[in-house]
Amino acid sequence: MIFKKKKITLEYTVEKCSKCGVEEKRKYSEGDVLFSQCSKCTSCDGMMMIEKIFGESLEQ
Amino acid sequence: MSLVNFTSFDFEQLFAMSDDTNPLMMLIWILPIFFFVFYGQRIQLYVTSGEIKKGIKKLDEFRNESRDELISYVNKNLKPADDPIPKIDRFIDYFTIMPVEMDPNGIVDKVQHIVRSREDYTREHVRSLSPQMSDIELSKAQTLLEIASSLQMIYKIINHMYLTAKKQNNYPLILPLQMILPFIMEQSEAMKEAISVFKKGQPVGDGIGPMIVGKMMLEREKETIAFQTTLVKSEFEGRKLFLVKAEGPGSTVGRPADGLEKIVSENKIDAIIMIDAALKMEGEDSATVARGFGAAIGGIGTEKFQIEAIATSKNIPVFSIVVKQSVKEAITLMTKEIADTADSVREQVNEMIRENTTQGHSIVIIGVGNTGGVPQ
Repeated sequence: MIFKKKKITLEYTVEKCSKCGVEEKRKYSEGDVLFSQCSKCTSCDGMMMIEKIFGESLEQ
Repeated sequence: MSLVNFTSFDFEQLFAMSDDTNPLMMLIWILPIFFFVFYGQRIQLYVTSGEIKKGIKKLDEFRNESRDELISYVNKNLKPADDPIPKIDRFIDYFTIMPVEMDPNGIVDKVQHIVRSREDYTREHVRSLSPQMSDIELSKAQTLLEIASSLQMIYKIINHMYLTAKKQNNYPLILPLQMILPFIMEQSEAMKEAISVFKKGQPVGDGIGPMIVGKMMLEREKETIAFQTTLVKSEFEGRKLFLVKAEGPGSTVGRPADGLEKIVSENKIDAIIMIDAALKMEGEDSATVARGFGAAIGGIGTEKFQIEAIATSKNIPVFSIVVKQSVKEAITLMTKEIADTADSVREQVNEMIRENTTQGHSIVIIGVGNTGGVPQ
């Protein structure tokens, strides 16, 4: 390829319920901090904790 | 179809050596040979200069962008009383003179003293921009300053090498520059991309060690064992664990060696396990986990020296687990692949403890790396 494809990084946050272990992946939002409790679990009454914050590269 | 006849070449015709050779044509062929003999290097110099010039232009953009980002971060988040630009410009130009190596005895202490003095004084100078700023904001501003300062230094050195070669019209002088430029550009681009990650307080690839140990520390009593370094005492299958990591979520690597020194002076330690990010070799997959022996810790080498000295004096084995990644991955937002290794590494740490220690033993586990965006 003569022209390099532009890479963009999409930021994600993964929340995990400390009680039932269910995981949810969503777009990263400002203020997300690892291991902080963020919301209530939708499947049980446990609290969701931020398990991972990561980026995924996408070629444009 | 006729094939080429290889048996009857007309050499005179082929090399144009017959009497009817045109002297003008001969001149046209011979002149470029002489031209390239005398001016070949100069032509190469011009061609190479063009490529290097493009690189230098990019480096100039990087250093300006990093400076602007730092200024905007300070103005937006730290609300300085006075105009911060003159101070920031002064901080960016800070340099470090390493001690002489003619007599290597005691060189590590000297290097450590200079590096720590630089860190301490820079921290205080950054704090002077806005005395009310929190420690987390301070560590972020300090990291951004380090990035801007490094990019400024890289630009100055590369530009100096280029201009010197051009001034002397010296092609061999520009060759090493041409060879190292791709590596320099890779690192500089990574540093430029790291700015937004540190500004947002997100974890970087190098933070995988602190992330694993930080998770092990959750909901346990924490104490400060050394400057910007946290200790948690825990238990695992009859073993006593001393978990050490830099104090997050500020951007710092802490002083794990000082922490280890204190733990070892008060307790009998049977093993040290270090979890760190390591540079992968070309061709190696990113986010592969490898185990080994010895102190897994980067940096200038003083922390590594200190940890090795402690381990040797007390005869403590040092085990390591590393997560492989590229330079870029180490200082930019943690990739999914690296983040996904966390559970596997944690399991391998448990395995390592079971394989190398017995019940009643005490083990120090150190999560090495930048803990930006990784609390405990």
